Amino acid sequence: MEPQKRIAKNALKVWRISGILESLLILVISITGITLTYLFDFPRWIIILCVCLFILSFYLFVFLLPSLRWKRWRYEVREDEIEIQSGIWIIKRTLIPMVRVQHVETKQGPILRRYELATVEISTAATNHEIPALEIKEADDLRFYISRMASVEEEDV
Amino acid sequence: MYNPKRLHPAAILLMILKIVKDAIFPLVLIFLFGGNNFGEKSFLLYLGFGLVILFVIGSAVLTWFRFTYWIENGELRIESGLFVKKKQYIRFERIHSVNISEGLVQRLFGLAKVQIETAGGEQADVELAAINKKEAERIQLILAEGKREKTPEAAESADVRTESIFQQTFPQLFLMAATSGGVGVVFSTSAAFISQFDEIIPFDKVFSGFEHVLEASLIFITILVVSAFIVAYLIATIGIVLKYGHFTLKKKGEELIISRGLLEKRKITIPTKKIQAIRISENLLRQPLGLASVYIEYAGGSAKDSENAKIMLFPLIKKKDLQGLLESFVPGYQYEADMQGLPKRAFSRYLFRHSFLAVIVIAACIWLFRPWGFLSLVLVPLSCLWAYLSFREAGWIISGNQLQVRFRIISKQSYLFHKNRIQAITYSTNWFQLRKSLASIFITAKSGAGPTIGRIKDLEKQDASTITRWLASRY
Repeated sequence: MEPQKRIAKNALKVWRISGILESLLILVISITGITLTYLFDFPRWIIILCVCLFILSFYLFVFLLPSLRWKRWRYEVREDEIEIQSGIWIIKRTLIPMVRVQHVETKQGPILRRYELATVEISTAATNHEIPALEIKEADDLRFYISRMASVEEEDV
Repeated sequence: MYNPKRLHPAAILLMILKIVKDAIFPLVLIFLFGGNNFGEKSFLLYLGFGLVILFVIGSAVLTWFRFTYWIENGELRIESGLFVKKKQYIRFERIHSVNISEGLVQRLFGLAKVQIETAGGEQADVELAAINKKEAERIQLILAEGKREKTPEAAESADVRTESIFQQTFPQLFLMAATSGGVGVVFSTSAAFISQFDEIIPFDKVFSGFEHVLEASLIFITILVVSAFIVAYLIATIGIVLKYGHFTLKKKGEELIISRGLLEKRKITIPTKKIQAIRISENLLRQPLGLASVYIEYAGGSAKDSENAKIMLFPLIKKKDLQGLLESFVPGYQYEADMQGLPKRAFSRYLFRHSFLAVIVIAACIWLFRPWGFLSLVLVPLSCLWAYLSFREAGWIISGNQLQVRFRIISKQSYLFHKNRIQAITYSTNWFQLRKSLASIFITAKSGAGPTIGRIKDLEKQDASTITRWLASRY
């Protein structure tokens, strides 16, 4: 029985944007490499390598990885437990009993805010988990729901 | 009862010692490299030095003077601070545990150090560095009683008597030292130290043409190795005897009381309900001898005091006594000998994982140090054996409210988790595991300020979801 709910469709856009930012870093590295090659007469294949590196990382960070990640991401919040599934090559599925949850919070970065999304962070006494991108309303509802369910039973740690 | 008290003046000495300890490295640097450059201005250096010393002593005295504590209204109250006055009022029922220990300085003056752990984490922990021993015991008693009044369940057992006692005898300590990894660590350090002679004595030059010298130096090397080993064993033994001498575990009602240490005495009180998991560790040397160490993963203990989080319950016991000891000290936890193992098809994954590193090392050795690099081929059977042991010993079993998980990293580890102490269970499948319908499972419980994780790799996928469903099912 797999968790059913997917995260917001817009998460894909957010990840693509941060993917572009990440590949910009690679672009800077590649450009530095190419410039150095011209300046110091390094062998020409370094230029090809740099270009390939940039194209490949752009494809990975902007297209492939975000879609794979989005496809895998599932979550489900039930009465007694929270289940989260994530991963690209390795699929991870985590089960957190509701009574173990110590606090929940939602947070937003600038890109998430632009798309009216929020991240839900769930902490137990020893672990931290997050659901990366939900519609703001859904995230808020979830936060209320979890904190209400979690406070039902009080136990030592 | 209401008058504020100060610590024993020995606390000043303790504070100065601590500052000196923290500053010893920069001080040594200054003495080594800064000494000669000042010339006639060295007078200024000494003046500066004197001022610093005065400042240290002065601030220690003032800190001591400003630190007061007293007990009032069901609270332990502490006021301290040189410029900013800090008031800490700690309600008895918020106190996790009270630990009394005696360091060298404390023993010199017949004093004790009281550490008070609260639920608030590191920030809220307080320490009375040096007070009268009787006073310490009195405080411990008051705090314990104050706590009991507030919690009705414990009130019944107000006149708790010691129920069981476990003591580690001295001969066992020597065995413990011999079989601890400590010998290995010290040995390899001293071996590394001795191998520095390699650089000083040019063995290559000596050996060429002097066959008889080779023999002589073989004896020499053997002597060095043996003496390094003896030194290592001695150091490890001394360390362990100092740390675990007079190890005594008592169970009093709902509390476990551990006291240990020859020079520095430590006494730790653990409420049984704060226990998060039990861990049984059998290292490579102890396992064949049927010996094991048992640890408590414990929710108290602050981040800076990580030693307190992993508490040795039984430093060294015979495996066959384990079940009986668990029953009398931590009832509710039981050790199951028979466990659900891994499917045969998981073995190739273990073999792959464990030989992966070995193959890289071997390839590098053969490439770099021909022909001697071929010696590294001994890693092949070793890593196969390691893989086989890890595969065979991995397992799990659910018995009612308890999940027992066994795995080997280097030592064989068995975790006993109670369902209501598990923080989260994660299971993961990568592409290779998916094809064989295998999964890895990670069980997280709290230990000190952080997590402790029991793991099994490559178990039947079905089993992974059985374990996860067990956690999800109602108590």
